[in-house]
Amino acid sequence: MDTIPILGLEDVAQIDAVLSEYLDKSEAELAVVLDKGGNIISQQGKRDSAELSIVAALAAGSFAATKELASRVGEPEFSALYHQGKKTHVFMNGVDENTILFTVFSEKTTVGLIRFYSVSCSRKLQQVLDRLRNQPQRNRFTLSMADIQKAGTLFGR
Amino acid sequence: MSIINYASKEIQFKIVYYGPALCGKTTNLSYIHSQINSDNRGDLVSLATAADRTLFFDFLPLHAITIKNFKTKFQLYTVPGQVIYNTTRQLVLRSVDGIVFVADSQWDKMEENIESFRNLEDNLAKQNAKIDDIPYVIQWNKRDLPRIAPTHYLNYLLNNRKVRVPTFEACATSGKGVFDTLNMISRLVLLKFTKESEQQQSAAAKRPAAKPLVTPHV
Repeated sequence: MDTIPILGLEDVAQIDAVLSEYLDKSEAELAVVLDKGGNIISQQGKRDSAELSIVAALAAGSFAATKELASRVGEPEFSALYHQGKKTHVFMNGVDENTILFTVFSEKTTVGLIRFYSVSCSRKLQQVLDRLRNQPQRNRFTLSMADIQKAGTLFGR
Repeated sequence: MSIINYASKEIQFKIVYYGPALCGKTTNLSYIHSQINSDNRGDLVSLATAADRTLFFDFLPLHAITIKNFKTKFQLYTVPGQVIYNTTRQLVLRSVDGIVFVADSQWDKMEENIESFRNLEDNLAKQNAKIDDIPYVIQWNKRDLPRIAPTHYLNYLLNNRKVRVPTFEACATSGKGVFDTLNMISRLVLLKFTKESEQQQSAAAKRPAAKPLVTPHV
């Protein structure tokens, strides 16, 4: 298994603790951990949840495209991406093969500080995620056919 | 790959609309976006050229019904259909849970339909996945146009595998068949998730209990 299919309460709490510490030290506004498919694993900081899923999809796509670009120019990867705006900036780095740390920050802090703290944050996240991947899944969420049939039509006008 | 988050009480699934260029993938998402209440969807994001040709992907997040107190979220993506964007299609297919193959029903698009389906199989193979292992449906789009192939011919060309998948006639511009397609692929994704959960549960139940360590007699 190369991703995290089930996140328990304690798992999310651990990831959130790492992200909170990162936000406190770096003074960034938002930190999101997402997988290569664009799914959000966890986030800390202020953002509308509907908007976050779009941001995650775009970030994953952007990072994947850049990784492909790196391989075409002879690099194994570009480990970090920085996009500079007028007031708000974005920093992305790979936590591991399947996970990305996406950070939004403003003029309150600097890209150097973000980059510095993202290294330790990524290391801690990697330890948590590796443990999650290797342990047997404790929480069981099961759906039965009856649950799906009871759901009726999923989407409608 | 679906993700279940016990903290936020959400299950996320990824569905990709695949097909040849100009077959109606983006039109499907546009129609869905126009019809679903804004409380149950996010914005439709289209990374496209000036000529409205999909450049990278379109993305539409949807919230479906709540099952067992978990909100099901479906992330809909489209891929660029033009041949030159094959690498981009591979990126968008990552971690896919379900696929809608949109075929152009016009007679002169048959070769492109076949090439696109083969391309889908090739791109999945690069991720060590097989089309038969992923829930998918086929949409015969543009049924309103003249000079279209009959559905039995389309099935013969594109739905002639060991297991035939559900197909839907559609006209994405008017919305005909769009929600039928979406509802079916969503159900198939949930069904697969259910089967996998049940298999994991029965495998866990069969696992022998760990033997206690033998305490040496002191």
